[in-house]
Amino acid sequence: MRRIMHHTLKNGSAVILVLLAFVGIVLVRNFASIDNAAIIARQSAIPAIAVLGMTMVLMTGGIDLSFGFVVGLASTATGLMAKVWGLPVGLTVTATVLLGSLVGLLNGAIIQYMRVPAFIATLGTGYILYGISKLISAGNVITRLPHSLLAVGRTDLLGLPTSVFIAAGITALGWFLIHRSVFGRALSAFGFNPRAAFLSGLPTARVNVLTYVLCSSLAALAGLLLTIRVNAAQPNMGGGVFTFEIITAAIVGGTSLFGGTGSVIGSLFGVLIIKVIENCINLMNISYHLYLAVQGGIILAVIVMDKIRNRAA
Amino acid sequence: MHGITKFIYDSSGRPIRNSDVKILDSVSFDLRAGEVHVLVGENGAGKSTLMKILGGIIPPDRGTITLEGAAVSFTSAREARGRGIAFIHQELNLCANLDVAHNIFLGREPTRGGVLHKKELYTQARALLSSLGFELDPMVPLGRLTTAHQQIVEIAKALSYESKILIMDEPTASLSKNEIDRLFSLMKTLQARGIGIVYISHRFEELREVGDRISVLRDGRSIGTIPSHGFREDEVIQMMVGRRIDDMYPRSHRPTDDVLLAVENLRLLPAAPPLSLTVRRGEVVGISGLVGSGRTELLKTIFGARRLVSGRIVYNGRKINGWGPGRLVRAGMAYLSEDRKTEGLITAMTIRENVTLASLFRLFRFGTISQRKEYEAARKCVQELRIIARSVEQKVGTLSGGNQQRTVFAKWRVAEPRLLLLDEPTRGIDVNAKSEIYKMIDEIAAQGLAVLMVSSELPELIGMSDRIYVMRGGTLVAELTERKAMTQAGILAHILMGARD
Repeated sequence: MRRIMHHTLKNGSAVILVLLAFVGIVLVRNFASIDNAAIIARQSAIPAIAVLGMTMVLMTGGIDLSFGFVVGLASTATGLMAKVWGLPVGLTVTATVLLGSLVGLLNGAIIQYMRVPAFIATLGTGYILYGISKLISAGNVITRLPHSLLAVGRTDLLGLPTSVFIAAGITALGWFLIHRSVFGRALSAFGFNPRAAFLSGLPTARVNVLTYVLCSSLAALAGLLLTIRVNAAQPNMGGGVFTFEIITAAIVGGTSLFGGTGSVIGSLFGVLIIKVIENCINLMNISYHLYLAVQGGIILAVIVMDKIRNRAA
Repeated sequence: MHGITKFIYDSSGRPIRNSDVKILDSVSFDLRAGEVHVLVGENGAGKSTLMKILGGIIPPDRGTITLEGAAVSFTSAREARGRGIAFIHQELNLCANLDVAHNIFLGREPTRGGVLHKKELYTQARALLSSLGFELDPMVPLGRLTTAHQQIVEIAKALSYESKILIMDEPTASLSKNEIDRLFSLMKTLQARGIGIVYISHRFEELREVGDRISVLRDGRSIGTIPSHGFREDEVIQMMVGRRIDDMYPRSHRPTDDVLLAVENLRLLPAAPPLSLTVRRGEVVGISGLVGSGRTELLKTIFGARRLVSGRIVYNGRKINGWGPGRLVRAGMAYLSEDRKTEGLITAMTIRENVTLASLFRLFRFGTISQRKEYEAARKCVQELRIIARSVEQKVGTLSGGNQQRTVFAKWRVAEPRLLLLDEPTRGIDVNAKSEIYKMIDEIAAQGLAVLMVSSELPELIGMSDRIYVMRGGTLVAELTERKAMTQAGILAHILMGARD
């Protein structure tokens, strides 16, 4: 418990979340209610899955700008498989996640073996994926998906949809992977100092590629669950705005853009912070566009704070 | 010469913590006008902390600084500079793209009506430089100057602030003999002008030439001040380490006949002749040669971190051509890089995380880190290798050089290697830590492990090695097997003249 306290204090994101919730309770009507808390949980579930992947990629010192486009591709593919081709649910889910893995393998291979900076490589693959999604969907939105598919993320359990529980389970797994596994340690070592990690005998190339595979697989899963949530499959799901939101959440949670440092709990708080802000803006009936501007402001503020903290250390 | 400038820093015997473990305890130090006062001490003795306090970079938490009879306290380097104290850092703080004159007067360029007065700028700069006895062209971009000349510019810049005190932190570290001589004659000019110089150096041979007095720091305390004239090296070393170094190089190990590593007809470069070498269990084999002779490349090639042109490497009875570091580490090979900060350690990680880095797969089952096991391994290392740290959770980047090097050794020790490839294992660490590292290397060999060691320090190579190979131009040019043949003069002859056996 003390360790968790220490961790969150160091991170600051928990403090920000508490402050925000306090502001919401005092200033925003209808914020403090069980129903609203459930809404925030539902809205946070999918970004919470997504942010894990991005956190790992940021920990390598890289970035994945194709993230939101993998979401779009996964959405399109899910719609096609479930509705047009009529594949069974299990196969649809598996194939969608594997499609994500394949994209991650491509990203990772380009970055690791062709030495292309992650920024450029994923920007490139991202647009390719967007184009492919548009092509295979022929610009159509697939709605009214089969109930068996919708049930995966929408079944009600104790007043919350299954997607919230899936997110909780994946977050727990992610926490173990990043903070307690040999892979997580190697990932962090590689992010801090790839040369020293390599010369310590760590399989740095495999770790780097695997990280992109995990990231895109999680993006695909997020795309699948998002499709289920809105009951519509389309290439415009996710996109650049979603990528940006997830990167913001990770950074707000204390993950460094310079590699090495990352925290699953921090990233989860990052998502909650963003979703609470979005929620307040919704409840106050202010334009959604303000939300985008606020998000930009947060990311700047956090990076400036990170710089100051690094200078002080 | 009367004491126009006098620093006193005294914490009345109570330890002072300056961020992390750099402790400055009770130090008093004074500097007279026109004197060169040399400050020596092991890494971590508190030299840099003291200098940073004098230079206004960090404020003293206790004690007083007296400047020309008046107590002062600086809150910033700028303030200290305003009072005539200039700090010449080891790494120069100049702009490579600007010319000499602009660097000297950066931020204080002479102006006329608010516009840069170029003519005046260059006239002033030229005058300043020639007053130091250097005819440097003030219009040359700094990046085109040698390190030595850049240092002159830094000194000129300091003097343009009318500095009375110069603090120089190992200024000769990257200079050639010739350049050092010119720097020393410049220092004499400055002394004659009444400027006091605090001079930090590790090179004893210099101290005779430039110093007036030598002060020794150890563990954050003043140990004593002696005149430089006719000082005895062993006396100063003893003051630095607190004990007499009788036997720096222990030799309890005995080489066996069992060849562990055999390099056959290896070509490092297409143009270099092939080389062959062997290392036996229980043996320490030295490699001597100039920087750039291919020493580091040889070790990295054996360790699989560099491609070889042709040849065969046999380790533990198996051909290992094409194996990478990952596979070799699992097979018991260890490589200690000459550059511990960028290749040996992850400075942002803790001691605990660093020491298990090369053994993650060996130490932990099911890919899961056992925190208890890891903590115990780290605790054991800290204890046995005497790593001085607050705890195993301290970040390695905040340790002193010697303790960082101990941590690298700890990392490879946890990996339980059979063969250690050591590249400059004692670079940049203090005498005390060196002698402990020698002890460690000897113990390693005594346990039947093999050591292949590259070093620029001939006494250390001669003291530690059972055999020495000499390297030049990417290949081995000699092998010295007899103790009699292992002399500094003998090795140097091979390195420089290329005499062959």
